[in-house]
Amino acid sequence: MVEGTKTANFTRRALLTAAAAAGAGVAGGVFISQVDAGDSDDDVAIVKQLTGKTPVESDRIHLVMPRTFPNGYTVPLSLEIDSPMTEADHVRHVRVLAPHNPLIEVARFHFVPRRSEPRVSTRIRLAEPQYVLAVVEMNDGALLMNKTWVEVATNGCT
Amino acid sequence: MFIPTPRVQVPSTAANGEIFQVKALISHRMETGLRRDDQGDVIPRNIINRFSCRYNDVIVFGVDLHEAVAANPYLEFYLRATESGRLEFVWEEDGGHIYALTHQLTVG
Repeated sequence: MVEGTKTANFTRRALLTAAAAAGAGVAGGVFISQVDAGDSDDDVAIVKQLTGKTPVESDRIHLVMPRTFPNGYTVPLSLEIDSPMTEADHVRHVRVLAPHNPLIEVARFHFVPRRSEPRVSTRIRLAEPQYVLAVVEMNDGALLMNKTWVEVATNGCT
Repeated sequence: MFIPTPRVQVPSTAANGEIFQVKALISHRMETGLRRDDQGDVIPRNIINRFSCRYNDVIVFGVDLHEAVAANPYLEFYLRATESGRLEFVWEEDGGHIYALTHQLTVG
């Protein structure tokens, strides 16, 4: 149901290095060039490394944050996932990741079918302008992802 | 010494099946462990790492918090009213200290 989480501290570099090393064995240099191609491939690689699964982009996830914000210390975040929250079809948990923070994991929200709605608001720290990711695990194990760009003017992590 | 103080805002009554909002806040520095003091020494990490909400002793919502949750962590979430009873809110701090509040809900 609502399980705890081991609190390992992941950095973006460590995850991407591990992902590249894992990819090198299977696909040779292909993986590296994908990572070089742009940030969105980085995002998928990071999520894959953290969870062991490939996320699918989904507009069922509504991640709302200001596009620009004057400071990185307390950036508002609202999250809502379209889900009936029945035993047969519900959101298990949502992870929020900030890949360009010193530590990329921000929070994980656990929901319970028929008891809580997959909808939360909080305030987070961002070190620099970046895409913030929401990664949703459904009850059947499927992984959905969405992201939003946030431009902060000051570093909220120092 | 700074004493963290938890607060919640929850309705006291709700209709059966109604979705109601909970606002939960605790005053806490959420020290990340990434900062240094004037002597250049690392200030040790001290954050609220877990929040949970029980409804008549059943967990209905939980959060794992990491360093990037802002100081004075604020959480707004939504529960379904199923029966009258006790809501319990628990904040767990690094080192094992626990802060808790309870609230009585009447479902009509």
